[in-house]
Amino acid sequence: MFYCQADFCEMAGLTTSTSCRRRAVARLGAAISFAALASVASSVLAQQAKLAELADLSIEELANLEITSVSRRAERLADAAASIFVVTGDDIRHSGVTSLPEALRLAPNLQVARVDARQYAISARGFNGTVANKLLVRLDGRTVYTPLFSGVFWDAQDVFIEDVERIEVISGPGATLWGANAVNGVINVSTRPASETKGMLAFAGIGNRESAIGARYGTDLGDGALRVYGKAFNRDNTFRANGADVPDGWHNGQAGFRADWGTPASGFTLQGDAYRGTIDQLAPGDVRISGGNLLARWSRQLAAGDRLQVQAYFDHTDREIPGSFAERLDTFDVEFQHAFQAAERHFVTWGGGHRHSRDHVSNTPVLAFLPADPALRWTNLFVQDEIELGDRLRFTAGAKIESNPYTGWELLPSARLTWKPDVKRMVWGAVSRAVRAPARLDRELFVPGQPPFVLAGGPDFRSEISNVFELGYRAQPSARISYSLTAFHSVHDHLRTLEPIGGGAFIIGNKMEGNTNGLETWGSFQAAENWRLGAGALFLDQDLRFKPGSGDVNLASAGNDPKRQFSLRSSLDLRGNQEFDLMLRYVSRLPNPAVPSYTALDVRYALRLRKNLELSVTAQNLLERRHPEFGAAATRSEIERGLFFKLKHSL
Amino acid sequence: MKRLLLAAALLTAASVLAQADGAAETQIKAAFLYKFGGFVEWPMRAFQRPDSPFMIGVLGADAVAADLELVVAGRTVQGRPIAVRKLKRGEPFASLHVLFVGHAESARMAEILVAAKGQPLLIVTESEDALSHGSMINFVAVGDKVRFDVALPQAERGQLRISARLLAVARKVISG
Repeated sequence: MFYCQADFCEMAGLTTSTSCRRRAVARLGAAISFAALASVASSVLAQQAKLAELADLSIEELANLEITSVSRRAERLADAAASIFVVTGDDIRHSGVTSLPEALRLAPNLQVARVDARQYAISARGFNGTVANKLLVRLDGRTVYTPLFSGVFWDAQDVFIEDVERIEVISGPGATLWGANAVNGVINVSTRPASETKGMLAFAGIGNRESAIGARYGTDLGDGALRVYGKAFNRDNTFRANGADVPDGWHNGQAGFRADWGTPASGFTLQGDAYRGTIDQLAPGDVRISGGNLLARWSRQLAAGDRLQVQAYFDHTDREIPGSFAERLDTFDVEFQHAFQAAERHFVTWGGGHRHSRDHVSNTPVLAFLPADPALRWTNLFVQDEIELGDRLRFTAGAKIESNPYTGWELLPSARLTWKPDVKRMVWGAVSRAVRAPARLDRELFVPGQPPFVLAGGPDFRSEISNVFELGYRAQPSARISYSLTAFHSVHDHLRTLEPIGGGAFIIGNKMEGNTNGLETWGSFQAAENWRLGAGALFLDQDLRFKPGSGDVNLASAGNDPKRQFSLRSSLDLRGNQEFDLMLRYVSRLPNPAVPSYTALDVRYALRLRKNLELSVTAQNLLERRHPEFGAAATRSEIERGLFFKLKHSL
Repeated sequence: MKRLLLAAALLTAASVLAQADGAAETQIKAAFLYKFGGFVEWPMRAFQRPDSPFMIGVLGADAVAADLELVVAGRTVQGRPIAVRKLKRGEPFASLHVLFVGHAESARMAEILVAAKGQPLLIVTESEDALSHGSMINFVAVGDKVRFDVALPQAERGQLRISARLLAVARKVISG
C-alpha cells in the first residue's frame, strides 16, 4: 500500500517516492534484460514488504530485533512455525520473581507447579511430575539435564535473573533441532551479552518466604566485555495443610562470569558458573548440592550470510540426599552447526554433537542404580532445509539421527509449512516424530538396593514415541494487538509402565499408549502507551490406556495435569518512575493425586527513588494464606502467601 | 547476445543481493525514525497548519533515507502524512520535525547541530559523542541489536516531550 505521488515529489523537491523509484528500476531493467528486471522488481517488492513489517513492530520489538543473523535477514518471532512464547527480561523484571522456575510461570504454554521450597514440577502439554522427562531445557546453550531421569533438577539451575535477556518457550516437539527429550517442549534461557551488562548492579531483598542478596559488575575487556556476579539466598521452609512445618528450607550461593568478544553472530563467548547449596531434611541429614560449568562458544559469519558455530562445555554436579542416594555427574558436550544458502530457495542448517557423561551414583539400602557408574554417550547428526515455495509459502523439512546408550540410533524427523497471506497474519502446520530415549531411571533402577528386588530395572525398556500434529495461527491485526492460537494432537506409544513379573516383583516396561489433545492461546494488548495487558489459556485433554498384556494399574504415574489453565497480566507505568504489575492465574484441579484448583494473584509495585535506586515490593498468592500445587495430601507442602521487598541499585 | 544477457542478469542479481546484504541495519534505523514520531510530543508551533505533513530530514545517510521512504509509504504520524527529505549540506532545517544525521557527517556534527539548536526538531544521530554536541537520540550498536541513548536536556531545550515508553526502551537516558 503506497501512494503514487511522483509529480508531487518532484515538485516539492523530495526524493523520489517508491513508485518513482520502481519506475526508474523498471527502465534500468528493461535496458538490460527481462529476466533481470523481474528479479529486481521482485526484490524491491520483497524489500518493501519486509520494511512494512518492521514498521509494524512495537518500539520494544524493534529494539530487540537482531541485526540480520543468518543470511542477513532480520528475523522475528512471528515467523517461527512453532508454538513459541518469549518471556523477555523486561517481563521478568515486571513480575518481581526471583528464580528461574517462577519466571517460567509467565509462559502461558507451560505448566509450573511448586512442590516445596526447592522442587518444581514443570512440563508442557501434560505428563507433569517431579521427574517430568519430556522437556528440554538449555541455559545459554548448555543442556541442563540429568541422565538419571531425562529431566531437570530445578534446584541446581539458577541464573543471575537481572541479566536474563529472554526465555524462549517452545511447546511441542523440537526434536529435529534439539534432539531426544524435546518431546513436549524446549526452553531456551539466554542471558545478555557481557557488552550489555557493563557497570555495577546490586540488590538486596527480604520477605517472609525468602531473603536474597546479589551483585554483578561488568566492564570492558580488551575489545570485548566481561561480567562477574555473585548471589546468595535463603528460602524458608514450607508448611503442611495443617500448618505444621516441613523442614525443607534452602540456602544457596552461586557465582559466575561471562565474557564476550565480537558480536553474537561473529564472536567468541566464554562463561561459567559455580554453586553450592544445602536443603534441610529432617533425617538423616541435610541434602547437599553443588556444581559448576564452563562453556565456550565460537561463531563466525561467513561469506554470503553463511554461519558456523561451534560450542563445547563441561558440567559437573554433585547431589547428596542422605538416606536415598548420592549422584556425581560429569558431562562433556561438543556441538557444531552450519547454516548456509544451499540454492536459490533453499536455506540449509546442519550440524552434529556428541555428549559424554560419567554418572556415578552412590547407592543406598533403599534404592540402587545398577551399574553404579556407567559411562554414557550420545551422538547426533541433523539436517534441515527451509524451502521458499513462493513469496508467502515456506516449507521446512528436517531430520535428526541420535544415538543413546540404550537403544542405539533413533530417527527424529519433522516437516513444517508456513503460509503468510500478508504481513499481519501467519498460519502454520507441523508434523513431527519425537522420541524420549531411555534414562537410567527406566533401565537401571533397582528397589531396594540389594536382592531380592521388588523393582528390578527395565531390561527391555525402549524409547517412548510421540507423533505430533500441530496447527497454529498468529496475527498482529494492529500495532497494539497480537495473539497466537495453537491446536495439537499427539499420539503416544510405548509410554512407561510398571509390569509385574511374579513373586511380587516388577520391571519397567512400555505398555501404555494414548493421545493428548490441546489448545494453547495467548495475546497481548497495548491498552495505552504506558499500559500493557496479556492473557493466556491452556486446554488439555489426555486419554491414556494400557496396552493388551500390561499388568500395570496406575495410569496416573504418567503425569498429573490440569485440564485448564488461565492467566492475566497487567503492566502499568505511572508517571515515569513507578510501576504497578498484576498477574492473576487459575489452574484447574489435578486428578491423581488430587490437588484442588487454585487462583493466585501476584502484585508488584516499584518506585524509582532516585535515578539509580529502585525499591519494589512483590506480593505473591495474595488471595489465600496458602495452597497446594502438587503432590498427595498427606505428604505435600503448601505454598504460602509471600511478601518480598527489594532494593536495587545500578550504576 | 544470449551470453551477454546472462552476464547482465547475473550482475544485476549480484548487486541486488549485495544491497540486501548491507540493508538490515539501515532498515531497523529507518523503522525507528518512523516510530519515534509516535513517542514524542512537538509544540504546536512546529506545525504551520493543522494538516501540515510530518517531515523527516536525512543528512549523510542515503541508504537510511531510501529505506525510510519504503517504511513510511502509506503511513501517518499523529494523523499527518509523512514526507522524507534527503538533505544536502547547508540546507536549512526549517519545517522539519525529525533530523537524522548519518555517520558520513560525524566529523561536522558540532557545526551541523549548532544550526538546529533551540528548534522544535528531534535530532537523531548514529555517531559517538553526538549527544554531547546537541543530539537528542543517538543510535548505538549493542551486540547484534540497534539500541539508542537519549539526552533529555537537549530535548527539553527544543520543547520536545519524550514519552516514558520510549525512555524505557533506551539503553541509557541522560537527564539533567
